Amino acid sequence: MTKVLLKGIRKKFGAVEIIRGVDLDIEDGEFVVFVGPSGCGKSTLLRLISGLEHISGGELHIGGQLVNEVPASRRGVAMVFQSYALYPHLTVRDNMGFGLKVRKVPASERARRVSEAAATLKLEPLLDRFPRQLSGGQRQRVAIGRAIVGNPDVFLFDEPLSNLDAELRVHMRSEIAALHQRLSTTMIYVTHDQIEAMTLADKIVVLRDGRVEQVGTPRDLYDSPRTIFVAQFIGSPKMNILPLADGGPIAPGASVPATAISVGIRPEHLSLGKSSNSTLRGKVRLAEYTGAVTLLHVELDGGQTCLVIQNQGPAPETGAEVSLQADPGRLHFFDREGQAV
Amino acid sequence: MAGSPSRDNAAHSARAPWLTLKTREMLEAWLFVSPTFIGFLIFFLGPLVAIFYYSTTEWNLLSQQATFVGLRNFENALLENPDFWHVVRNSVIFALGLVPLNMALALSLALALSRPFFGVVFFRTVFFAPVVTSAIAWAIVWKFMLQGQGGAVNQMLAWIGIDGPNWLREPNWAMAAVIVTRVIKMVGLNMILYIAALQSIPRDYEEAATLEGASRWQVFRMITWPLLAPTTLVIMVLTTIGSFKVFDHIYQMTGGGPENGTLVLAFYIYQQGFKFFNVGYAAALALIMFAIVMVLTLAQVMLRRRDME
Repeated sequence: MTKVLLKGIRKKFGAVEIIRGVDLDIEDGEFVVFVGPSGCGKSTLLRLISGLEHISGGELHIGGQLVNEVPASRRGVAMVFQSYALYPHLTVRDNMGFGLKVRKVPASERARRVSEAAATLKLEPLLDRFPRQLSGGQRQRVAIGRAIVGNPDVFLFDEPLSNLDAELRVHMRSEIAALHQRLSTTMIYVTHDQIEAMTLADKIVVLRDGRVEQVGTPRDLYDSPRTIFVAQFIGSPKMNILPLADGGPIAPGASVPATAISVGIRPEHLSLGKSSNSTLRGKVRLAEYTGAVTLLHVELDGGQTCLVIQNQGPAPETGAEVSLQADPGRLHFFDREGQAV
Repeated sequence: MAGSPSRDNAAHSARAPWLTLKTREMLEAWLFVSPTFIGFLIFFLGPLVAIFYYSTTEWNLLSQQATFVGLRNFENALLENPDFWHVVRNSVIFALGLVPLNMALALSLALALSRPFFGVVFFRTVFFAPVVTSAIAWAIVWKFMLQGQGGAVNQMLAWIGIDGPNWLREPNWAMAAVIVTRVIKMVGLNMILYIAALQSIPRDYEEAATLEGASRWQVFRMITWPLLAPTTLVIMVLTTIGSFKVFDHIYQMTGGGPENGTLVLAFYIYQQGFKFFNVGYAAALALIMFAIVMVLTLAQVMLRRRDME
């Protein structure tokens, strides 16, 4: 059972507090993704778990043991770095076997475990190559292989796909997901890419300014964001947030909570409609055709720009007057503090 | 009306329209490199060619008369003159003492000073300052400090009850003294090269190795040291060459003494050429020194290449 438990974790660099009290409960075998904008502290939090950074306050438990003062190498974690951190002077075989070698694992056992990991990741033909002779995707697999060989209790991934091109990223994403299914080991994954977070995670942790903004399944975060920040961070294109100051129903049949001052509508929950049914009217400023859908940028009469995903039919001309209809069951209301109501 | 106006302007503005663009660019390039190239021809290639000629002559600088003697000067040095092999032996001892000591000290300092901490710039400056200090001034100061009686070094040794020798006057100690003082003077340069190399090694390697259970010593031995190999080779080659070329230090501190105990090759060449005026013999010695340094450098490069494979 390798649960990871964070209680009031804090990290200061000098006078600057980067992590400001994070509480988190990660179950055994769970795939947890930390997301958030640059500088929110997600990589720092991962490094605190790994032991590469010292914890300033709070408690970190791995597998039921308090590990604040346990060195990185004895926490039972393996990390895949953004840069892969493959030792350039060692072959793939030696890179993968490095950790076993320094732990004085006998050569025969080392060879067996490297071969097993290489077979899992289809790396056998590459074992005698040097990192410089590998493509980006192959390096990534070697980095994962190096982590697997140590048979860790917890895998840590620090933006492992950010150096790959778009196509390879999608492919590697599926390989990591498959690996998790096969190994069923606890995995903690850091990314700023919310698509990666949505597709991989059992549980997403949205971080903002060193604090947890919301924790939940991808569907929870998408359907029931607790704050405007989460509402806009999860989902692509991001949610439209419109003021309710003018009054009047945003959609027929929708009940507006008394404390709400703004409403969030995802672009996919808006459609072009008849003018008599809607209070949302504006002009099309840009129509981006992406193949599957068209993304319309509509400038509302109030001045805000609203994004609309049009699934079918010809897109209106730029400058055309349109009326928008919102799905009344898919509206999100927020109060003055940006909290969902 | 063929061609755009801008193209017409470009054609008109060309100062030498009869030359092709490629030729014009080539001329410009030569113009830029010519100051260095001319200097190279006059001050480097010229003397280098001349020295081959001088080495085949018996030429006393005072008589202004050069007689062609073929390879006689080389025979004299390599087969007949016992001084030559004594001098080569001294140079080898100097190099064997200086190169490992310099490199070990430079690497140790670099490892200590490659990461930022309060005062790091001060310490780097302290260790680098001797490199840019005048070699003669450095040697004079050390000569005073190493005096047998009243020298600062012996005074300090006296505080802890050690009766220091007359460092530069005793054959057994003079070579050690010139090696150590030379190391202290030049170690800063290699330290800076090692610091630059250490700082170019991504921190991720060390972190990944630490996570995998490597101790600090294992990280150094298995990751850092192999990654420093190209820099180590450059430093080893440059320091070896520098140790064979050492002149000013010996000239000022010991003058080759005592009992020729610190008479090294470069200083011997100077003595033969400009003290005894045997220019032909000195030229032959210089070529032999060139060959020795070349062989050592190639050997180091080949060893490194074998290690890489």
